[in-house]
Amino acid sequence: MGEYLLEVQDLKTYFKVRAGRVRAVDGVSFGVRPGEKVGVVGESGCGKSVTALSIMRLLPKPAGEYAGGGILFDDQDLLDLSEREMRRIRGGKIGMIFQDPMTCLNPTMTVGKQIGEALRIHLKLDKDEAQKRAISLLQQVGIPAAEERVNSYPHQFSGGMRQRVMIAIALACNPKLLIADEPTTALDVTVQAQILELINGVCSDFGTAVILITHDLGVVAGMCDRVVVMYAGKVVETATTNELFANPRHPYTLGLLASVPRLDEKRHAQLKTIEGAPPNLIKPPSGCPFMPRCTFARAICRTNPPLDPVEGNANHLKACWVNVTDPKEQAYAERRRLARSEKQQAVVKEIAASMLEEK
Amino acid sequence: MEIFEQINLNQTAVTPDELEPLLEETVELVQKRRSQGRIIFDRFMRNRTAVFGLLFLILMVLFCYFGPTVTSHNKPDLLHPIPLNAVLEGGLRPTLQYPFGTDDVGHDWLARAMAGGQISLLVGLSSMLIAIILGIGIGSVAGFFGGIVDNLLMRFTDVFLSVPLYLLLFVLSATFTDGSPKSIIILIAALSWMYTARLVRGEFLALKEREYVLAARTIGARNFHLMFRHILPNAAGPIIVSATLLVGNNIILESVLSFFGFGIQPPTASWGNMINLGDNLFDVNPLLVFIPGMLIFLTVLSFNLVGDGLRDALDPYMTER
Repeated sequence: MGEYLLEVQDLKTYFKVRAGRVRAVDGVSFGVRPGEKVGVVGESGCGKSVTALSIMRLLPKPAGEYAGGGILFDDQDLLDLSEREMRRIRGGKIGMIFQDPMTCLNPTMTVGKQIGEALRIHLKLDKDEAQKRAISLLQQVGIPAAEERVNSYPHQFSGGMRQRVMIAIALACNPKLLIADEPTTALDVTVQAQILELINGVCSDFGTAVILITHDLGVVAGMCDRVVVMYAGKVVETATTNELFANPRHPYTLGLLASVPRLDEKRHAQLKTIEGAPPNLIKPPSGCPFMPRCTFARAICRTNPPLDPVEGNANHLKACWVNVTDPKEQAYAERRRLARSEKQQAVVKEIAASMLEEK
Repeated sequence: MEIFEQINLNQTAVTPDELEPLLEETVELVQKRRSQGRIIFDRFMRNRTAVFGLLFLILMVLFCYFGPTVTSHNKPDLLHPIPLNAVLEGGLRPTLQYPFGTDDVGHDWLARAMAGGQISLLVGLSSMLIAIILGIGIGSVAGFFGGIVDNLLMRFTDVFLSVPLYLLLFVLSATFTDGSPKSIIILIAALSWMYTARLVRGEFLALKEREYVLAARTIGARNFHLMFRHILPNAAGPIIVSATLLVGNNIILESVLSFFGFGIQPPTASWGNMINLGDNLFDVNPLLVFIPGMLIFLTVLSFNLVGDGLRDALDPYMTER
């Protein structure tokens, strides 16, 4: 107890569909300490957003269901709470920011009313007080002329400004935890930095813990204390940000880091990618979910690796059988990667040739 | 020397005083933007036919409610003495004293048209109001909660829709109403909420999946709050349009009922029972039917024009156009 503000324990969230159950989140565990900033990284469709919605208990009904595990927040299990108690937590103790500020604000309500809404629900403020607080919140998130802007409608704001408003809404009641679900993905690069700076600054001021969900490793590096890497509904590696970037131990993390385009790369060089696509989550593979795409894969990978500490560092966990720092393994992986890309190019050439013949 | 002066100028240019106007410009930008209501209003006003309909409706309301006192044709039930030959001709032809003429027993047709208009508009508007409230209540609950609630409420709506409307109206008004406007209003409202309920349900089904509803959930809003603060205002456009069209529809319903002698009972005047009265004398004095008929036709047409104009003005993709 005590150490963690939020502790997700072996969380399993499934979606019932006609073909079966989609195991969107399949045994995820991680913790967030008070005031800590945790990044959750992974490619699209690996369960990051579903994890966030699960914490808020806002899974789309009736398809979504909790199949196991627990979510401890402030020493109480959120999955055991009644809907009424849960409403007190939402907005009051956990705030959330979504990806697209264009669609997340109600077009028929003024910005001030929307910020005041949370205040009126949780702090039982009256209209005028809520309005006053809304103005000061708008100032805090850096919106100029807040007294006038508070009565504007969302369509009169730009994307970055709207995201600022979203942040003001989420932080209105000074929650202990802020879940930011890809807060910058829909924004311009120049605005992205401002928004991240803002989230970082405001949360440090308020002492708010942050779960930052993103697929942008640069964002994580700049802001988070710790990183959780997810793949196919599972946590595959977690460590402090510095440790993870300096010493990645899971092939998937390696792939993610390698696939970030760099300015100092040779021009017209092929960008590095992770070949293939995430597995079908209705019928997940019994072994390591990353095996089909992994260049390090071996026979042992047919059984699922546990999330174990890396030798010598109890805070660095990885779910992989292979020691990726071993030069022998690396050489082997490189050979396989080359062989794969050669094969792929051969196939492409073959198809191109056959198309030419048809002409 | 010149360069030096230029540098000097530049330095004086950037004083704190010069930085201030930036903020003011932002304020101006805010004020220049039109509010959503203003945008809708401007767009509505650009629609000629809709504005024409609206003007006509305003005129009609003034005519019906203030006409009697202004023109002192305020005794719709009084039997004015008319010459015997006029009785045989089915009433007086329009004169200066009776601009719309009279019927064969001496009812002042202008006074009756105005008094009847009051009743018809009252019935149309208030039955619309009740029907819309009923429809919003049922439709929003069905659409928001979905599942079995939705199923039950919508089947209930289907039951109402599957009954032949006019038949039921005739039977019910013959047995349950006393011919007063109030009973007719309730009866018409009880049989015209179904389309609104379906419309509202559809809107709710679509809108409840919007991200801002999810966002409102994340700050702990209750279902009631979500339904009537977040979703309903966004569905206002189609509801307002259907309400406007419903008024016209209900005026016609009332007229049909009264025409067949089931609705508003004489001596209280309504456009419907004026046609009923005039129908007997159609061969000798067609004006008795023609005048209330025209009034119904023009009023309903205007309501529909306004409805169409609103539909265009309340385009869901509201932009600064």
